[in-house]
Parts: sequence; structure tokens; C-alpha cells
Amino acid sequence: MFAATAVALAFLLLPIVAIFARVSPGELVAQLSRSVVTDALVVSLKTSAIAQALVLLLGTPTAYLLATRRFRGRSFMVVLVELPLVLPPAVAGIGLIAAFGRFGLLGEQLNAFGIQLGLTQAAVVIAVAYVSSPLYIRQAIATFEGIDPNLVAASRTLGAGPARTFFRVVLPLSRRGLAAGEALAFARGLGEFGATIMFAGSLQGVTQTLPLAIYQEFNADFTTALAMSALLVVVSGALLVALRLTLQWQPSKPTSRFLFAPSR
Amino acid sequence: MRLRVLGAALAATLVIASSLLAAAAFAGASHKQRPRLTVFAAASLTNVFPQIDSRARYSFGGSNMLAAQIEQGLPADVFASANTGLPWQLRRKGLVTRPVVFTSNKLVIVIAHGNPLHLHNVHDLERQGIKIVMAAAGVPVGDYTRKVLKRLGLSDLVDKAVSQETDVREVLSKVVLGEADAGFVYATDAKTVKGTVGVMGLPKSAQPRVLYAAAAVKSSKHLRAAKAWVQRLLTKRAQTKLRAAGFLPIPR
Repeated sequence: MFAATAVALAFLLLPIVAIFARVSPGELVAQLSRSVVTDALVVSLKTSAIAQALVLLLGTPTAYLLATRRFRGRSFMVVLVELPLVLPPAVAGIGLIAAFGRFGLLGEQLNAFGIQLGLTQAAVVIAVAYVSSPLYIRQAIATFEGIDPNLVAASRTLGAGPARTFFRVVLPLSRRGLAAGEALAFARGLGEFGATIMFAGSLQGVTQTLPLAIYQEFNADFTTALAMSALLVVVSGALLVALRLTLQWQPSKPTSRFLFAPSR
Repeated sequence: MRLRVLGAALAATLVIASSLLAAAAFAGASHKQRPRLTVFAAASLTNVFPQIDSRARYSFGGSNMLAAQIEQGLPADVFASANTGLPWQLRRKGLVTRPVVFTSNKLVIVIAHGNPLHLHNVHDLERQGIKIVMAAAGVPVGDYTRKVLKRLGLSDLVDKAVSQETDVREVLSKVVLGEADAGFVYATDAKTVKGTVGVMGLPKSAQPRVLYAAAAVKSSKHLRAAKAWVQRLLTKRAQTKLRAAGFLPIPR
């Protein structure tokens, strides 16, 4: 049993150690000042920020509705919301082109408003939001379901309206769970590759996110690719640690059974 | 009674299964002389190489990515690049055998089917709002594109591109899907999607020399077979297939 654990741990850790072992830390840091890296970092942060704002804004009410209401087709809706989570990124990419592309289902309508999404920064935002929102919504549903309904009922009988109850009672009680879900969604979105390269293309400073820049630099300068990989390892690691800490503080029942590791 | 039927069925299954196995083993043995090679080939060769040898395992992509993978030690037997520079670069590092030029190609511009934007020549791409895609610098077709545009005095189009793709087929698909208005690809790529896109030629004087070169990877376990595979590309049969796909003869 211990041997198996050792093998598993070594297997999971080795690629990460290897990223840092191949080049000296000084060189890694020096590589990070190249414009291809800084441009990609800015694009990644900007698109992630917008995408995650959308995820929070639309995902929170959706999750609250699905967590608190019982209606026909609810389970089906939950499955629908979770579907992008298990979809291969390439399928997500094809789907986004088929839906929002110039000749997509909504292409003509968007075109009428002069909106063309394909190969633009907006396309990156859409791809990131699409693949990362299920992680947040899933966790948010679990969190809202874990809130003691008596507290909500008490708030209502004390005269608070549904909106006031939501903002003053539900939201403060669930903020750790929501933060954990958002951290996971953010990490997943930061690593988005497949759907982005298909729907948004790759242009330095516009649509080229860190993962896309790593892919391009792998062909050109392996050291730069390593440096950017190291950067993402550090950021993802920090997110994971923050997530663990957040969840440990949470006094209510653990939600970790709903946690998913971010994939590509 | 029932048991006997069952026994007979079982026996029949066993006979069929073992004969299938024997056939498979025999088929395997007859191929023993020719090992199954792994060929890393430029994306533009995606359709034609399996016609030349359907048995090889292929990895198609940007030649520069394939070269980087070979440098990182990925197990390839043959490297076929859309330029001569990359295989020669690997040759100087002692990673591959002497590159052999086996075909050539030319650059074209693919545009939307039916030409709704009324593009007639490369200069029309300067118009406002035309979405251009090309391959990134370093990818052979990306370098050729830059060369052509420089010769035409249109280098500003490079900065106008809305995406810098990692191989020629990604450029092609962006135009096929309608996400871009025009893309720089090889004539052979345009031919694979004939009828779904329009094709615009480039002035002959601006055409770069697009030479394809192949080499055997020295670390290959089947180096002899890999060298033979490279030579096979020069046979009449292989050249006929290349020509049918629109590739051009090796320039003298």
C-alpha cells in the first residue's frame, strides 16, 4: 500500500519538479520579462477577470434557484449545467464555433448587430466562461443546499424580503463555499486551451493566453515555455492552497465531495 | 440435449477464434520485414502521406513543432518538413540523416466561398475590416507568407492578421468555418477543401521557393527502414500521388 502511494505521488509530482529542474530559477525569472510572456499574462488575467465576473453574476442566481427550488426538470437542468465540465475541450471549441461563429446558430443575429466573436478577445472570454462556469455553479449549488433553511425562514418571518434575505443571510453564510468554487473555476479557466485555440485563435497581446503562448513557445524557445509553465504551476498551486484554507475555516459540513481538479 | 448444443457452440466459437488468431499472426508475420514506422510530417501532407503509405503511424503538425519534439527526444522514425531549414537544423545537431528534397508547393490565399467581399487580389486584403489569418513566424508556411508579403510591399498585413496559427491546416479551417475572410495556405491545402472555399493566386514573381525535405531520425530503432522510407518518396508511385494531390515536381 505504501509502495503504491509512493509510486502515485512520485508520478504526480515528477512532471512538476521537472519543470523547475530543467532551468535555473534565475533564468526562469529572466524569461518571464519577455514580451510574449507579459502579453500572455495580461491577456490571461484580463479575459479571466471578465469571464469570472460573468460566471459569478450569472452563476450565483442560477445555482441559488437550482438549490432552493424543487420543480420538474430540475435534475435535468443540473446535468445540463454540469455537462461542459466533462466535455472534451475540443468539443467545447466546436460547439462554440457552431453556436457563436460567423456561420453559427446565432451568427446571423450577432452579425446583424455588427458583432463577430470568432478570433476576438471576446471569444476567449466566452471559451473561458463556458468551461469554467460549471465548476463554480456545481459548488455553489452544494453550498446553498447546505444552508440551514430555518435561518432563511427566520429572516423571512422577521420581515426581510427575499432579496434582503439573500444578501444579508444566504450570501454571508455561503461566501466560503462560493469562494472555493470560484477559485476552482478561475484555475480551470486560466488553463483553458482547446476551446480557446479553436474559437479565438492565437494572437499575441489579443487572444494568446498563457497556455496558448506555452504551446507556441514550445516550438520556438523551450526555456520560455518552461518559464511560463512554472508561472502557471505557482499560480495554480497558490489557488489550491487558498482553496484548502478557505474550506478548512468553513464551520458547516464539508463540500469537498463536490470538488473537481481543474483539467486542461 | 441442451448441453450438447452448448458444447457444439463453444467448440465452434473456439475454432473460429483460433483461426482468426492464426490469420492475424500470419498477417503479422508477412509484414515482419517492414516495421511500422512513425512519421512526423508537415500538416500540409495530412491527406497525401497516408495514400503513399497507409501502414505508417503519422503525427501531423507544424514542422517547427515536430522538429522541437524530435529535439526533445520524442520517438520518430522519419521527419518530413515543409521547408529545408528545419531538417538541416536537426542535421547539424546530428539528430537526422541528410535531408532529401522530395516535392514542392506554392502559396495561395483562400477566401470565403462565393467571394462575398469581392476580393480579387492580394492588395484587396488591405481594405478595412478584412479578417486575415496566417501561420505564426517559425511555422514554415508562416515564414513563406511573410516572405511573399515583403516582396509585395505588404508587410503591414502581418500585423493586421487576427490570428497567428500553429500550422497551415488551422489557417485553412478558420477560413472554411468562416471565422476569417482570408488565409495564406499552400495550393494543396486549398485543393483538399475544393468547393467550400474560393482560391486567389499570388503573383508568380512573389512566390517563395517552397521545398519539402525529409530525413530519417538517427535515434530510430528502424533506421534502415526509415532511410528506405525517405527514398520511397522519390519513387514514381509516390511522386504520382503527390502530383495528384497538387504538389509540384522537385525543381531542378
